[in-house]
Amino acid sequence: MPDCTSLTLDRHLAPAGASAESFARLWAGLWTQRRIPPDLLELCRLTFARLHDDAGEMAAANPAVALAAGQRDAVLAGQAPADPAYAAALLFAEYYWLDAQSITDEAADAVKAHYGEPGLVLLIEALGLIDGRIRAARCLRDLSAHTSAKEAAHV
Amino acid sequence: MSDTPRVGTPGTQTGNTIRDSALGLVPETVSEIIALNGHVWNDTIVPPALLEIIRLRNARTVNCVFCKSVRYDVARADGLTEERADMIAPGYQDSALSEREKSAIALADCYLGFPAGIAPDLAPRLAAAFTREEIAAVLVALMTFNFTSRTAVSIGGMPEEPLPIIELSVSVTTD
Repeated sequence: MPDCTSLTLDRHLAPAGASAESFARLWAGLWTQRRIPPDLLELCRLTFARLHDDAGEMAAANPAVALAAGQRDAVLAGQAPADPAYAAALLFAEYYWLDAQSITDEAADAVKAHYGEPGLVLLIEALGLIDGRIRAARCLRDLSAHTSAKEAAHV
Repeated sequence: MSDTPRVGTPGTQTGNTIRDSALGLVPETVSEIIALNGHVWNDTIVPPALLEIIRLRNARTVNCVFCKSVRYDVARADGLTEERADMIAPGYQDSALSEREKSAIALADCYLGFPAGIAPDLAPRLAAAFTREEIAAVLVALMTFNFTSRTAVSIGGMPEEPLPIIELSVSVTTD
């Protein structure tokens, strides 16, 4: 499953049954909710892809989201967006990725100033789902690659 | 870490600890999160004791004080005593945990690591220990435990000192 990324993970998790279906519904809901712009969540995904140094994840594009010209490359280059709301959310995302315990009150307050308390909660949930899916996809890719290589070596 | 919560709660007293927490501020997601937790515990092919082992491994890695203090009733009933829970710690490889339990911790560490991923020498061991369906179920459970514990830490207001161990019915987070 070399194509497995956070965006294609659900079909690889489907053998888990009901829990995977529920997880997929939760994920799908992120891209239709209205508290945090979906294009900002896609920029969070790309930020995490960069921090994980995950080439497959960085190359992937969410078909549910249209990014403005230049946004994708800027985030992958580590440049903060000009929009202060987006900049606040992406800074919060970097703290979150490093360690949730490292998040400062100032970073959280900046997100709340733009999106309110429910927006901050939604962003936190979304960051957890995005990072978790990137991690799970990496594990599945490695598992497939290393077990396939071992099987091939025995042929 | 913030010692006061960064957000409030919805002020409800439904008896469901997730719905009554700050997550209840987002009605668009809270019901599915509760449903997900229910599916992870109640509709899975992975035994509750094994789920609890990876939940505790995650809790200790993320350092979620609340999560670390909880023991779910279904896992206790499935044989995860406090003595065995204590083995989910550095040196677990030499503990009395079963090989399958040790493999589950190894998989959790792969998921939780920096970088996340599975080393070539570990992959065959995991593939031998778990079916494809079990790997998928463990990963869904890990993602669920990980994002909820990191959510709790991110929201803040968590004590720094360890809390007493409490046994909870899994139903308080799933019904």
